Amino acid sequence: MKLLIVEDDRSLSRSIYDYLKLEGHICEVALNLSDAKNKAGVNKYDCIILDIGLPDGNGLDLIKEMKSNRITGGILILSAKSSLDDKLTGLKIGADDYLTKPFHFAELNARINSIHRRNNFLGMNEIVFNEIKINTDDNQVHVNDKLIILTKKEYDLLLFFMANRNRIITKESIVEHLWGDNVILTDSFDFVYTHVKNLRKKIVSAEGRNYIKCIYGFGYKFIDS
Amino acid sequence: MKLLTKSTFYFLLLSLLAMVAGGALLYFTIKKVIYKQIDASLITEKTIIEDQLKQTDTIPDFEANFGHQIEVKLLNYHVKNYQSIKDTDIYDPDSDSFIPYRYIYSKGNNVEKKGFIITIYQTLSEKNELLQDISLYLFFLFFSLLLISILINYLIARKLWKPFYDSVRIAGKFDIQADKPLDLPETDIVEFNQLNVVFDNMTRKMRYDYLNLKEFSENASHEIQTPLAVIRSKADLLMQQKNLNKDSINLVKSINEATTKLLKLNQGLLLISKIENQVFHEKKMVSLKRIAEAGLDNYKEIMQLKKIKVEFDSTDDAMVEMNEVLADVLISNLLSNAVRFNVDGGFIKCQIDATFFTITNSGFPMTINPEDLFKRFHKSSEQSQSVGLGLSIVKKISESYGMSITYTCHDSIHKIELNYRQHGQYTGIS
Repeated sequence: MKLLIVEDDRSLSRSIYDYLKLEGHICEVALNLSDAKNKAGVNKYDCIILDIGLPDGNGLDLIKEMKSNRITGGILILSAKSSLDDKLTGLKIGADDYLTKPFHFAELNARINSIHRRNNFLGMNEIVFNEIKINTDDNQVHVNDKLIILTKKEYDLLLFFMANRNRIITKESIVEHLWGDNVILTDSFDFVYTHVKNLRKKIVSAEGRNYIKCIYGFGYKFIDS
Repeated sequence: MKLLTKSTFYFLLLSLLAMVAGGALLYFTIKKVIYKQIDASLITEKTIIEDQLKQTDTIPDFEANFGHQIEVKLLNYHVKNYQSIKDTDIYDPDSDSFIPYRYIYSKGNNVEKKGFIITIYQTLSEKNELLQDISLYLFFLFFSLLLISILINYLIARKLWKPFYDSVRIAGKFDIQADKPLDLPETDIVEFNQLNVVFDNMTRKMRYDYLNLKEFSENASHEIQTPLAVIRSKADLLMQQKNLNKDSINLVKSINEATTKLLKLNQGLLLISKIENQVFHEKKMVSLKRIAEAGLDNYKEIMQLKKIKVEFDSTDDAMVEMNEVLADVLISNLLSNAVRFNVDGGFIKCQIDATFFTITNSGFPMTINPEDLFKRFHKSSEQSQSVGLGLSIVKKISESYGMSITYTCHDSIHKIELNYRQHGQYTGIS
């Protein structure tokens, strides 16, 4: 995927750049609005990760300009302000999703993947990974063409893992992904463990391989091999 | 006691004292005047009779009239001159009572050196009646004067103090979070104007400090978000590196945990300051019942894992006009508390009726006053994971909508009761 990171904090944009590059994306960085406008005008990006509070203007202006120039591509708003107004305005004028700073990279990754999926496989939303097949239209999961029944949380967890293959995912990021970050549910790591265990069990029982590896001290990793 | 009442009371008290004293003085003065007059007329009369007796030795004729008697007794020996005026009571058979009299008793001698005694009685009853009448009129006069002056005093004082009461009323309504300064009306009384100026300066300063502080805390929270995001992202990247040894893993893990905690804390404080700043002003009709159902569903697996029995009992949809996000935060905080601080094999009971949203749950016995948990950073136990903001956010939200919330704990049964019907405008005020 080709991505544009619009973020004025050098250190943060650098981190995002590094992480997304590790994921195998082609990334470019714009540190201000005018640079972002130039880059978005010239190149075609699959997704733009856009900070709203920029030194030379509001990131929402970029969305407006892109929409009026019929530039396609997903837009993920990134903001330190979890203000509802920004979120609603952003989504109304054409952004695909909204993420509040600070975020987990796993979450950012999952959102980018989800935007990409929605924008590129219209109607045919299927993620295939080796023997695992996920249909995101009817939320059904097949392993070796055998339907496995997952709970809502297990399904979300599987998608989350899929988006972050070969990356360490912390328990915190799983908690936030599954239960939302409005809720301060910090002692719920045991529940993460249980969900992961159940998910693993269901995949293995359908003769799938055990892809979910426990990483000491951090969390989990969904490995390819 | 109100100032007006008090001043009227003192006025009344002093006026009564003055009236009693003045009345008594007047009474005795009049009485003295009357006595003097009677005495003078008794002496005059006596002198006339005496003169007559001195020249002749016949007793003159007297017209006897009621209440006035003259007795003259002629003696045939010489007496010593003597005169006295006294009070006495004389029995009156007609009215079967004693009637007060003033009498003069005088002894004298004529030219032949023969003595005579003159006694003249003058009734006092008429004069007493006069005295009583005068007293009565005086009393009425005093009394009506008193009433009128109290009324005038009251009216004047009320008019004079009106600007003061106006100022007090306006100052009482002063709300540090409202975005208008205290506006006190100008008066033509210098002292009150001075008071208003003092009031005005004080509240101006208060508002300034408050706004500064509010702005500072909001800005600080905002500005902290980005560096936190940097720390978290760097830790995330560090984590992804291969060949980390156990020590490094533990370091990154600690950084990660501390960052998460700081983040939650900051988010909580930011949320509180946003509620105070009335950022969440959009509102619509939301059903607390529906939110509670969704919330319980969210924790379904966790509750199954902890073997917590859930009872949901609602007789009302609990429709409330409030901000959707805040309603969600409110209910999910309550539910997550009930789940978090529960015991394995415990229970959660969620009851909704027309007025109350009640959550009862099993848990651990509490050593501190449950209401204290509504304060920031108050924790029931030293749970290092908890930042201690959840319930203060709950309190803040419920207060900002004029709902009342209570927390009670008996043995190890915790109960939070939200009266969602005391529903007012979203004020953002605590």
